[in-house]
Amino acid sequence: MVVRWIAAVVAFVATLVIGIVAAGGSFTDYEAALAAFPWITAAAVIVSFAVYAAIEFAQTGAVTSVARQFGTRTIVLMPIAIAVNVVLGQTVAAALKIPIYLDSIGTIIVGALAGPIAGALTGLLSNLLWTYVLPPPFHSDFAAPFAITAVVIGLFAGVFGRAGLLRPRPGSRIPQLALAAVIALVVVGGLAAWTYGEFYSESFSLDAFTFFNPTPDVPPDPVLVVIGWLIAGLLAAAVIGFLLLLIVRRDAGVAYVVVAGAITGVVAAMLSAPIAANLFGGVTGAGTDFLVAFFRQQGSDVLTASFQQGLISDPIDKITTFLLVFIIVAALPARMKARFPQGERLVEVGEEVAPDDDGWRGATA
Amino acid sequence: MARSDRLSAVAGHGLPDFLGRTGPTAYHRLNPLTKATIATTSAVAAVAVGGLIGPAVLLALAVIAPALAAGVLRDLVRTSVLLALPIAISVLVVNLFFYPEGQTELFRIGPVVATAEGLRFAVEILARIMAISGAVTLFYLTTRPSDLVIDLERRGISSRVAFVANASVQTVPAMVERAGQITDAQRARGLDTEGSVWRRLRGIVPIVGPVILGSIAEVEERTMALEARGFTRPGRRTLLWAPADRPAEAFVRWALLVGVVALIVVRLAGILP
Repeated sequence: MVVRWIAAVVAFVATLVIGIVAAGGSFTDYEAALAAFPWITAAAVIVSFAVYAAIEFAQTGAVTSVARQFGTRTIVLMPIAIAVNVVLGQTVAAALKIPIYLDSIGTIIVGALAGPIAGALTGLLSNLLWTYVLPPPFHSDFAAPFAITAVVIGLFAGVFGRAGLLRPRPGSRIPQLALAAVIALVVVGGLAAWTYGEFYSESFSLDAFTFFNPTPDVPPDPVLVVIGWLIAGLLAAAVIGFLLLLIVRRDAGVAYVVVAGAITGVVAAMLSAPIAANLFGGVTGAGTDFLVAFFRQQGSDVLTASFQQGLISDPIDKITTFLLVFIIVAALPARMKARFPQGERLVEVGEEVAPDDDGWRGATA
Repeated sequence: MARSDRLSAVAGHGLPDFLGRTGPTAYHRLNPLTKATIATTSAVAAVAVGGLIGPAVLLALAVIAPALAAGVLRDLVRTSVLLALPIAISVLVVNLFFYPEGQTELFRIGPVVATAEGLRFAVEILARIMAISGAVTLFYLTTRPSDLVIDLERRGISSRVAFVANASVQTVPAMVERAGQITDAQRARGLDTEGSVWRRLRGIVPIVGPVILGSIAEVEERTMALEARGFTRPGRRTLLWAPADRPAEAFVRWALLVGVVALIVVRLAGILP
């Protein structure tokens, strides 16, 4: 089983690298390939899934681990998840007027409970049905092009769920909390540093610390430096608040959920930005468009402005979504969770799962 | 024929009136997959061609002309404009005022300058958006949601996927109703859905939580109900009715697909300007 997973990851990375090189980039200079990233990722998802399924078939003569994710229970959960995606994506986010999307809660729930392939299929169907099947008022003409983003979100949610990152860990001891906090800060900090260096500034120096300085030779506008520091201050406050939350809740799981959300958010932004840039000149009609306008004003081209907007909005959105899913799933009874293909991974360590004799481990349940 | 009419009436139950009509014109009676292919290929072609004239021609040929033939032009314009309005406003404002490559000044409001280059870019994007939105809107104005799913099932997609698609159509309104009830209940308990951003953010969990938890709680019953009705039985399902298809339509579908792929290849190779 480990072999399959390793092979799938290797195939995924290999396809990404081949795609980046084919699109005119290289390991160190992949900017040429950024615009083609959605296509490359779509190919990588298909190739790695094919490799995984082929190896499983060669080993066992069947693809049970994939079929197992699509029991009746999953099939019944999927329409509910799709409805959650669409209804929240279209109404709650708009009614509450917050610049995040909240259109992937259902996808992440299915990924976490049922597995990566089920999550990916939920994401794909959500966006396709949203455009082709659902009647107004719950209809969007512009959801289908972003289907690849939804697929990868579902896939990641499934992998993170399987890895146990979404498991509640109440009553964690201080060393466990500290370890989780350090891991979360390292991952989130690493992602932040990489995206900052890659998309927001050519060079890093403290006296010219700004998010909006595409030309480091010219001294930056002092107002922008102030805004840059303001954003840095907000981020620092968010980190401190997160650490406090961790200590108050004493649940190391929160830290891992933030890690999962941050990684998914950055990847989702990398996928959506080229699509939004090519289709709509970077805007999406959501509350996030003022950010695009701001970055355009600072001289970024359409693609860069899309990345700059997405890499701020998407990690916030996905961290919020993952935390919501974490809270919701933690509130489900353990026996209900455990009946889903991957539900045991979401049950607290030591939590009582009522003995069950209706054969839920079978292929049909 | 009588049987298929009856089934169509059943399939149309619970949908908005303008979707429940049974194929009044020839365009309505096209196979759903043909209409979906037309919608997708014209949307993709509008993006691939770019510029202003290409999407405008596509809009006239692949959207407005069929919409006139199908007699849904009024609905099409109304729905399409409504759906595309938020993004259209964004496109116009962002590009008109924040187009750094722009040189020619049209007018200025305070520190922001409206440029002619920005306007030109915005109009190009708007043409593209109208082509995409029009193509997709035309598709669902002339097609009942379940028809496409039934047609795809006949062509061999898994009956489970078909179930998910049809169940989603019914679950969405049910969930809206549930969300409304829960929002009212929470407001009766003092939830603030109008206040500051922070208060509104805090309003997410008490609304979203019960909606999702309540829906997931139903999974158990529905699972048992489906299994009791042989949902998991292997083998093919017999469809009582499926939308008609003709060899000519299959040819058109393939021709459109080949055409759009060729267009993309030509564009990527840089042959067309």
